Amino acid sequence: MITVKHLTKKFKNNTVLDDISYTVRQGEKIVIVGPSGSGKSTFLRCLNLLEKPTSGKVFFHAEEITAPDTDIDSVRRRMGMVFQHFNLFPHFTVMKNLTFAPVQLKIMSTSEADEKAKELLMKVGLSDKANAYPKSLSGGQKQRIAIARALMMNPEVMLFDEPTSALDPEMVGEVLGLIEELAAEGMTMVVVTHEMGFAREVATKVLFMNEGKIVEENEPNAFFDRPQSERLQLFLARVL
Amino acid sequence: MNLMMLSATLGERFYTAFFAERRYMLYLKGVGNTLLITVFALLLGIVIGLFVSLVRFTTKNKPGLRWAYHICQGYINLVRGTPVMVQILIFYNVIFSSSGIDPVFSAIACFGINSGAYVAEIFRAGIESVDSGQMEAARTLGLSYRTSMRSIVIPQAVKNILPTLGNEFISLLKETAIVGVISIVDITRASQLVSASSFDIFPPLMIISAIYLILVLGLSKMLNIFEKRMAGDNV
Repeated sequence: MITVKHLTKKFKNNTVLDDISYTVRQGEKIVIVGPSGSGKSTFLRCLNLLEKPTSGKVFFHAEEITAPDTDIDSVRRRMGMVFQHFNLFPHFTVMKNLTFAPVQLKIMSTSEADEKAKELLMKVGLSDKANAYPKSLSGGQKQRIAIARALMMNPEVMLFDEPTSALDPEMVGEVLGLIEELAAEGMTMVVVTHEMGFAREVATKVLFMNEGKIVEENEPNAFFDRPQSERLQLFLARVL
Repeated sequence: MNLMMLSATLGERFYTAFFAERRYMLYLKGVGNTLLITVFALLLGIVIGLFVSLVRFTTKNKPGLRWAYHICQGYINLVRGTPVMVQILIFYNVIFSSSGIDPVFSAIACFGINSGAYVAEIFRAGIESVDSGQMEAARTLGLSYRTSMRSIVIPQAVKNILPTLGNEFISLLKETAIVGVISIVDITRASQLVSASSFDIFPPLMIISAIYLILVLGLSKMLNIFEKRMAGDNV
């Protein structure tokens, strides 16, 4: 579904991603772990071109989205993204946060969008917050709304950029629970996280990134129980 | 006894400076001109500032349009790097010298162009104060740059911009006190005319201080109410 070929990203002279090639297939749940500064967030942000790769190509299905004539907006409509800091629109109600993009882009009529938003609010357990403003919500609630907002567009894949890193510990569970639920429904997803338990539980593949490269890749049990590279052994020893 | 005489004298001096020979009409004319220049200069400044900040935002990362960015930057540097007093003398004596145009128009043009540079900076700072995550979130939903800017970033920026724009209004009102040098009768010039004709300098200065104070405090109060109303709905 998403194919990355020889992706390199440099900030000035600092190489953040170093010649990465990888393919995400339909239905896979890819969890990316690694020390901070290893390039995992940058990698995720290159998948929908929030960061422009210095060189290399990114394909979504058969379309090369790094090509200069790509309509990136229409590609992004099919890829949902959830951020560490939620990035809800503070001047909109929860309802409008959800319905604004699909209505604005004429993908849904106002009433269709309202209907769908109500369904999704029910799904994330926040039906009573439809008319609240984001500032009145807790971190966990904000993130669940942010997930619902991304789901409004019926994305084919969801990208999660450290979705629980800015949350109080007791709110992590409700957000991870929701992501697990999505995974169980068959959503393709790429998740950058520090939650090792979640990685083991949900991932079909876990990637370990270090210094801009994918150092190791395996299915979760083998990844955590029999790490091959020394760097991953060291990393797991520190975080588990 | 002495004190009573003194206070009576002071009262008389103020009477002379304000009511005698219908001098209040002069102050009134001054208030009219000061407000006229301030309001229209600010409007002109907002139009110029909006244009300049838009040009700077859209050309910043486009190498082919770099020249437009530099022109805007040059304009801001030029305006902010020279005294308004010099600018207004140049406008009146050089740029509009032969056109026989009303000096009030000249003052509006000068203060408008001057204010535009500051307003452009206010807009830039206001837009940059909105967290970059807002633009990113909007773009990842598939919204275009233009829509994201118009519906997501700018409405949030406006809340940061309004108070500063209010301050610009107030400083502009006070800065216009120099338009007397191109023979416009503003509030300050009115006091000079009165002191010249009444041979008394103190009362007119006190009177115009009070006028400026009332205008500025009144404006601040109005802006405060306006901001509260803006902030009231949310955020």
